[in-house]
Amino acid sequence: MDGPVVVPDAKKLLARGFATLALLLLLAAAPFSALAQKPADASVVAELPAGAMQGKANAACLECHEARIILQQRLSKAAWTKEVDKMMKWGALVDPADRDALIDYLSANFSPDQPAYDPQRTSEKTGSAKSSK
Amino acid sequence: MCARKTMNSRRDFLKQMSGAALAAGAAPSLLTGALPQGQSVEFPGEDGMVLRSFRFVDLETPVEYFNTWLTPVPHFFVRNHMYEPAQLDAPDWRLSVGGEVEKPLTLSLAEFSKLETHSVVNTLECAGNGRSLHRPQVPGIQWGKGAVSTARFSGPRLRDVLERAGVKPTGKHVMFRGLDEVPGKVPPFIRSIPIEKAFNSDTLIATHMNGSPLTKHHGYPARALVPGWIGAASCKWLSEIKLLDAEFVGNFMNPAYRFPNQPVQPGDAVKPEDTHPLTALSVKSVIAGPSDGASLKVGKVAVHGAAWSGEADIMKVEISTDGGTTWNPAKLGHEQAHYAWRLWSYDWKATKSGDYIILARATDSQGRTQPSTPVWNPSGYLYNAVDQVKIRVA
Repeated sequence: MDGPVVVPDAKKLLARGFATLALLLLLAAAPFSALAQKPADASVVAELPAGAMQGKANAACLECHEARIILQQRLSKAAWTKEVDKMMKWGALVDPADRDALIDYLSANFSPDQPAYDPQRTSEKTGSAKSSK
Repeated sequence: MCARKTMNSRRDFLKQMSGAALAAGAAPSLLTGALPQGQSVEFPGEDGMVLRSFRFVDLETPVEYFNTWLTPVPHFFVRNHMYEPAQLDAPDWRLSVGGEVEKPLTLSLAEFSKLETHSVVNTLECAGNGRSLHRPQVPGIQWGKGAVSTARFSGPRLRDVLERAGVKPTGKHVMFRGLDEVPGKVPPFIRSIPIEKAFNSDTLIATHMNGSPLTKHHGYPARALVPGWIGAASCKWLSEIKLLDAEFVGNFMNPAYRFPNQPVQPGDAVKPEDTHPLTALSVKSVIAGPSDGASLKVGKVAVHGAAWSGEADIMKVEISTDGGTTWNPAKLGHEQAHYAWRLWSYDWKATKSGDYIILARATDSQGRTQPSTPVWNPSGYLYNAVDQVKIRVA
């Protein structure tokens, strides 16, 4: 994907180092069951694309779910409008003054003409049975 | 019930991190570290799955794993609508049965485990499997072809539990509530099934999958197992059963998981009153190999995959290697069960180099055949068009 992929720069790599440290501290403090739903390492966290609305989209959307749920969508502006309104009804915190800009941001980055989303895989266990037919 | 306090939201996540990272002023970028695409993600208990979402967990089975009749649990797709229960302690787990019954019940896992166990091999498929293939695209988890897997599920019959409670004549629908933890103001994941399906001797409250206790991702300690029906009917982390006089009213019964009563043009809006709840799965086959885009040598090519049809049996699977002009029967695998997929294979001799489109189409015991074009609907449910892969023979 072109839009959401950001090449890590030195500052971000440093930040990820801190993130790993922070998450290790967190691992020690939080119950395992809660963490099972959280990325155990900052490297698994995907991010929304850069833009004036990135911060507000992070706050509104990623409170409840992660970025990949957005990154994989390819929707018209009409469909994004319905999604944003549904999510606001379901508790997404969006200042009414920001609603249209949020819809524009999502429509611009995740429209049907964007390249297909390329999902990651979870790691494979060594020696796992795979198709060889 | 067990403690519900948990760390669900990103805000809670940030709060928990505040002592460490926020003090360093680095938090905003910490949580959004850029990710090189293609890098695999560690996920304990899961093996080589397609990562649709990490929070909440949605994992797709790659179609190349459709080569065993029973899907090993680490390859079994996972569909969560919201967060898994943060804490699930077997001694604290209770299943309540109430509503339109003579004697409301509460069962502990120990009491529940004394009930007679029954096993059903069932192909479980998410109603949204194949959603990404619909055009125009529709919102939702963008499943490819692999939100489907097969396992032997075991546990008490739902009927036995309902009979203990004594269903009143007014009990017409059976509601399931799970312990999913709800973010924000999202409606809780509650659905219902009609009493007839609930009393079917193959409808279970499953505690085991392929002979082992359910893993947390699959609904430990107990889930509904409504065989042949869309995955959403088989509520995970089951905590409450309630008999109702009518279908449950809530988001996950309406508007979600409904299908238009009449065919609609792609892109059309459909009013909720012109829809009905999804129940049984459709007839479908998927090609597991060769992979789409594969380059093969002239010679023998093993075309293989799986086919299923909810509450009906697969009667035949046909393969075309010339884009649909001619069709040849595939050989169906020996392993079969009423609600389970059949593996199939077709030995093709690719005698000439070139580009080929291989097609697979299944027909079931109700005479239904996969359509050549997808049946579009606004939520992208029950995609079952004739499957295809494009390959190159050189």
